[in-house]
Parts: sequence; structure tokens; C-alpha cells
Amino acid sequence: MTKLTSTRVLPNLVLCLCLGLLTPSAFAQGELRFCLRSEPKTFDPLQVEDDASVAIRYLTGGTLVRMNRQSQVLEPELAQSWKVSKDGKQITFKLRSGISFSDGTPFSAEDVAYTVQRLMDPSLHSPTGDAFRSGPGKVDTKILSASQISITFPAPVAGLDRQFDQVALISQHSPKKEMAVLGPFMVADYKPGATVLLKRNPNYWKTDEQGRKLPYLDSIRLDIQPNRDIEMLRFKRNEIDLINSLDSEYFDKLASGSPQLVHDAGASLDSEQMWFNQVAKAPLPGYKKAWFRSTAFRRAISDAINRDDLARVVFRGHAQPALGPFSPANRFWFDAKLKPPVYSPDASLKALQREGFHLDNGTLKDAGGNVVVFSIITNSGNKYRERMATMIQEDLQKIGIQVNVVTLDFPSLLERMTQTFDYEAILLGLSNVGLDPNEEMNVWLSSSENHQWNPQEKTPETAWEAEIDRLMRLQSASSDPKKRKEAFDRVQEIVVEQAPFIFLVNRNALSASSSSVHGLSPVILAPQTYWNAERLSVGVIEAQSRP
Amino acid sequence: MLGRKIARHGVAIIGTALLGGLLSATMVRLAPGFDTDEAQIDSHLNSESLRALRESRSQQNNILVFYLQSLKRASQGDLGSSLTLHQPVSKLLRERAPLTLRLIGVALLLSWGAAMTLALSAAFLRLYSYDALATVISGILLCLPAAVVGLLSVLWNTPAALAVAALVFPRDFRYARNLLGRAYSLPHIITARAKGLHELRILFWHVIPVAGPQLLALAGVSVSLAIGAAIPIEALCGLAGVGQLAWQAALARDLPLLVNITVLVTLVTLLANTAADLIGSMVGSQPA
Repeated sequence: MTKLTSTRVLPNLVLCLCLGLLTPSAFAQGELRFCLRSEPKTFDPLQVEDDASVAIRYLTGGTLVRMNRQSQVLEPELAQSWKVSKDGKQITFKLRSGISFSDGTPFSAEDVAYTVQRLMDPSLHSPTGDAFRSGPGKVDTKILSASQISITFPAPVAGLDRQFDQVALISQHSPKKEMAVLGPFMVADYKPGATVLLKRNPNYWKTDEQGRKLPYLDSIRLDIQPNRDIEMLRFKRNEIDLINSLDSEYFDKLASGSPQLVHDAGASLDSEQMWFNQVAKAPLPGYKKAWFRSTAFRRAISDAINRDDLARVVFRGHAQPALGPFSPANRFWFDAKLKPPVYSPDASLKALQREGFHLDNGTLKDAGGNVVVFSIITNSGNKYRERMATMIQEDLQKIGIQVNVVTLDFPSLLERMTQTFDYEAILLGLSNVGLDPNEEMNVWLSSSENHQWNPQEKTPETAWEAEIDRLMRLQSASSDPKKRKEAFDRVQEIVVEQAPFIFLVNRNALSASSSSVHGLSPVILAPQTYWNAERLSVGVIEAQSRP
Repeated sequence: MLGRKIARHGVAIIGTALLGGLLSATMVRLAPGFDTDEAQIDSHLNSESLRALRESRSQQNNILVFYLQSLKRASQGDLGSSLTLHQPVSKLLRERAPLTLRLIGVALLLSWGAAMTLALSAAFLRLYSYDALATVISGILLCLPAAVVGLLSVLWNTPAALAVAALVFPRDFRYARNLLGRAYSLPHIITARAKGLHELRILFWHVIPVAGPQLLALAGVSVSLAIGAAIPIEALCGLAGVGQLAWQAALARDLPLLVNITVLVTLVTLLANTAADLIGSMVGSQPA
């Protein structure tokens, strides 16, 4: 018995010693390295608009609440608790005490008030601030105590508490201004065009379950590398530790040799879609405008596209056919009543024939005898969109429609899309889509500039657009999640019925990481791999083996 | 005499640089998508913010007004701000110029070292096989597009300066070989060699004085070749130099940045050519 005990004690002792080695000091040795795809335009968290700046804000910014990217549930951060008023206009936060910014400046409700006032300054034109602007008027901040603040908006803000996930707090009193942060890391060095070095924030307030200070990592080196091929090459050479968003082609290449290095988290919120130009003043022949404004025509085109093939061939199976505006990955807001799209060129052709179209020697013509031909433009350099456009061209050829694929550089495409409206159909995608439909108000409201198929309508030009306007405003004004969901479900159904956007696929969230990175748990929400950056560590065992 | 020549060159340099800047600004203004911004399709921005964004871009619609205002600001030391990077252009150039200068400097040393060694030995040896081999090597390099050389450099993990040198070398070699070959074919040099004069003496006393001024002119041209090669190489290799900045500015239609880079590159090229010209004329005017 004694012997048995002793034989257990020894391994346990060894285990304890090993675990002891995995202490903060061991984790602290690590530097995580990965690439940003562009130069960050700003380090001011309130002015962030580009992906690179968003990444830095996520890693450095302290927020009152944080959406858990894995559970999709809002969790307390610098706010211990919060309460939203019934009318959806006011939110009251109870803050944690004894917290300091990275430079040692104490954090209090004054900083929250200062951040909100600066964020809502109309002259700042902050995308984060604009998301809170649901009506005219000023925002009122009331400091109830050093650790309690209430913020009142002039009009109800849908999903008010969730919006604060994007608001990184800045200090009112710190001489370092926005460079003083409350997040796990702080910007230590920036070499334009080359690197952003983030170091651990020594004043970060969080600890893990064992009481160890977070973050584990010592630093994060973000190399600015727009070229995905080079990013991949550097990953293979172990010059970087992870690729946050991986192309399906590279995913398969890596998976064939080292399957443990790649992660497919499933369908993401990102979507690929095409739409027809429905702008009345577009420089297009009248008969083409009539096609594009016809619901039957758009639905027929949608039915003639083989989405399964797009997902299987273009994305090598790392995408799912899109069911509607929101991906099924958006657990709460996705409308489960939406049916999967059915690929049916025969049904599509019959629907077109009912509308007066007819086949003439294999070529589809409209009732006026005009050959059905249109061009799809997409951004050059995006091989997936170029391939998708080519496959759509082949699909539509089967029902006698001739499609020309045109690739343009992004500024040229934007000019046609937003200024001259000189296009017939566009194939583009949405990335970093938010969870809440309110974030897409400017897409769905007919008066909006980002109502891409027909922007800035003075009054809704169709009954269904009027209905979408009504439903979007209804969900936006309500603080009842159930009512909001009902309204947005109906929006999703109308969009599928009317097909102003023809949603094609939802890309999977693909990533790669070296085996030296520990604590990774890739998810579908951005940032897919480093959403839990404070709990990641690099090369622990290797670090311990060094003398 | 020399002072007047320098002054004349100075006026020509400033005039050409200003004209280059205006032409660059005009081309960017006329490029499709000039006054667009990716932020325009950010669904988070409301109509007021989008309007402000458009207004900030439309301030540059009148290219002549923009250029004159830019010149006025530049005369006060302000080169404006980058539209895409939201940073002062002078700061961006200051931060990135050292890398590009170092890259071009090393590349020129490498390419000139290789070109002169091969050209001299080809002219000196006069062996058909050696000349053919050197010509084939330079011919192959001459056929390779900058993008391919850049990608190979990334793939093989070689220094970027080597890639720039590989692009400049074939031009340098071909001109240098022709110049030296022609010099070695001159009757008095053939006679000197026949009389058994030491090769180094022939080279420094008879060949260099003949080919020197043209080689100096070639050196000036090499600088502009190296700058041209540095732009795609920096962009492909992910080097944070002025070349990469120029590439990004062109793609994003970043007018203030692109105009300033054009003026800077024009100035450097013209200065290099002028320096070569002046030295060449000084050397050429000396009694033999």
C-alpha cells in the first residue's frame, strides 16, 4: 500500500513540477508573430475604420463589455454590470475599481464620459460613433459616482449594450492620450510599412483562474504584409506563428502535409454576393433596366446558379451555400425558416419564359427580341471572385444567357458602384460582418447611400423596399430582442424573395497556427484566432529548456 | 564657366521636377476611381460622415488649384498629408528614405561591380566563348520581368538588393562592354598592346579616358534604373521603403503622396544624371 502510494507520489511530484514550470514566467517568454494585411491608419481607437486598426484596437483596447467570440454572449469587462433602460435610450454601467491605464493613470467614470463624448462628436465622423447615432440630438453622460455612469442617447439604440464591444476607452487625463490603454497589450513600437510591436500592458487588470496575471504573452509582433503568398511563405519558414484568415487553396496545401497546423471553424459571417444595377439614372438601355428591376428575372438568375459547385470548386469545400443575408453562424439572428437554395436551371428557364423571355437557337431573348447579355464586374486580384464569376458565366450559359466577366481595380469598381452607376452586375463580398442587424441599417434602408442596388431613394421605389424600411426601423426602435428578431426574420425572407442581393456562399473561417502557439481556439467571429489573445502563449516548453 | 553650367542644370532640374509633379498629379486625377475611398462602403458610416468623406476627396478635384496650393505649402516646408495613411508626407518620406537609399546604393555597387568586371574581362580577353557566356547571362536577366525577379528573391530568401542589382546589371553590362570594347579597338590602344605596354597602364591611361565620360553618364542612368527597379521589388518583398510607398499610393490614388514621391524621384534621378554630366565634362575637358 505504501509502495503504491509512493509510486503515485513521484509522478505527481514530477507533474506538479512540470505544471509549476508552466507559470506566468514561462508564458511570459513568448512573442506571438503574425501579419496585418495593411498599414494601420490610426492608433486612435475612436477613429478606427480599417481592418489593421481594428486588430490593434482589439488587442490594446479595454472595453466596458466584450462579446465572447466563442459563445457569442456579452460578458462584463471593465463594467462589472450594466442596465439598459426599457426605452433603449439609456445605459448605466457599474465600473470595476482600482484599475489603471497602461501608463499608470487611474481609470474612472470620467474616462468613460470623456470617451463617449469624444466618440459622439459629429466632427470626428467615427464609424464606431455613427453606429450609436439613431436620431438627432446630443448624448448625455452623467457620472453618478467614481465607478458608476449613465449614458443617455437622444433616441433608442438597438442592441445598445452590444455596441460597447467596439468602444475602447481612452483616458481623459493621461499625457499619452489614446496611447494609454486598458487592454492586455500596448503599442510599444511602430515602424511604418514594416512592424507594429505590442508589449504586455503591465497594469492589465485581469488574472486567470489560478490568479496569474494576464496576458501570458510578453509581446505580439505584427508584420505589415499585404501579400498573402508571402505571408504563407513566411509561415512555412516559421517567421510568423499564425495566419488569422487563410485562403482555402493554402489551407488544403498546408493540410496535406501538416493537418494539425490548420483550423476550419466552419461557416463564418462573411458572405459573397452579386447584385444587379437597379438605379433609375444608370447609363443602361431601358430594356436592361427592366430586366434588372424584375423580381422574376433576379430570382431566375439566383435559381440558375449552382451554389454547391461554387462552394465545392472555388472554395474547395471550405464554404457553404448562402441561404440569405445572415449566415447560419449568426446563431441568434439567422432566420431558421429560410430554405436552402435549390439549383434548378430548368425551373429558372421556365420562370423566365413566363415573363416573356424565349430561347432562340440556344440564346435567351426578351419579349422585345433583345439578346440577354450582361457583364459582371468584380475586383481584380481576388482569384476566388474571378473564379466564381467564371462559374456563374458557365451556369447562366446553360439557360442561354451570355455573361461577360470584367475585373477592375477596387477604386475603379467603387467609382462605378457609387458615383457613375455604370455597371450591370457586381460580384463582391462582405467581410467582418457584425452580429447585430442594426450594423447593416445603412445597407437595408432605401434612403441610405450603401443601399447598393439602388442607393439614396427619395422614397422607397418598391413596396417591398418600403416594407424592409419599416421593419428595419421597427427592430431598431425596439429594445425587445424577440420583437426585433421577428422583424428582422421578415426582412431576411423579403430579401430572399426579392433577391436584390443574390447571396452565393458563406466562406468558412480558416486559419493556421504553428504548433508552438498554445491556447488557440479558432472561432468564426473576427478576430478568429486571437480573440483570446490574453490567454495565448508561445513556445513554453522550448523556453523552459533554455539555460 | 562651371558655375554657370551648374546654375543652368539647377534651373533645369527644378523646372523638370515641378513639371513631373504636375504631370503625375494630372495622371492620378484622371485615373478612374480617383475620388473614391473604401470607407464609402463601410455600412457603419452614416450619411453625414459619408458626405464629409466625399468633401475631403473633392477638394482635390481641380488639379491646378491643388498643385498650386501644394507648391505654396511645400515652399513653407509642408508637403501635405497622405489620404490613405493619414500621416504627414514629409514624415513618411523621412522614415522610409534611408531603407530605399541603402537598397539602391548596395544594388548599384553590386551591379556595377559585376558589370564592370565582366565587361572589362570580356574586352580584355576578347574570347568569343567568354563574351557569349556573359551576353547570355545578361540577356536572360534582361528578359526577366521585375515581378519575377522579386518573387524569386522572396522564394529563395535572398537580399532585395541582389534582386535590384539583377535588374540593373544587364543594362550596365551591355553598355559598359560596348564602350570598353570600342575603346580597346582604337588603333593607338591596339598599337600600345602590340608594343607590350602593361595592361593596367593601358587601362588607366588610354581606355578609361576614352570611355570614362560615357561610363559616368551610364552611372547616372543606372540610378534611375535602380529607382525604377526598387519600386516593384520593395512592394513584392514587403520592404518599407519609398518604393513600397509609391506602389501603395498609386493603387489607392493617394494624390499628395504620389505627387511628392514623383518630385522626389525626379530630383534624385536628375541630380544623379547632372552629377555624372558635370564630372564627365570636367574629366573630358582635362588635357590628355
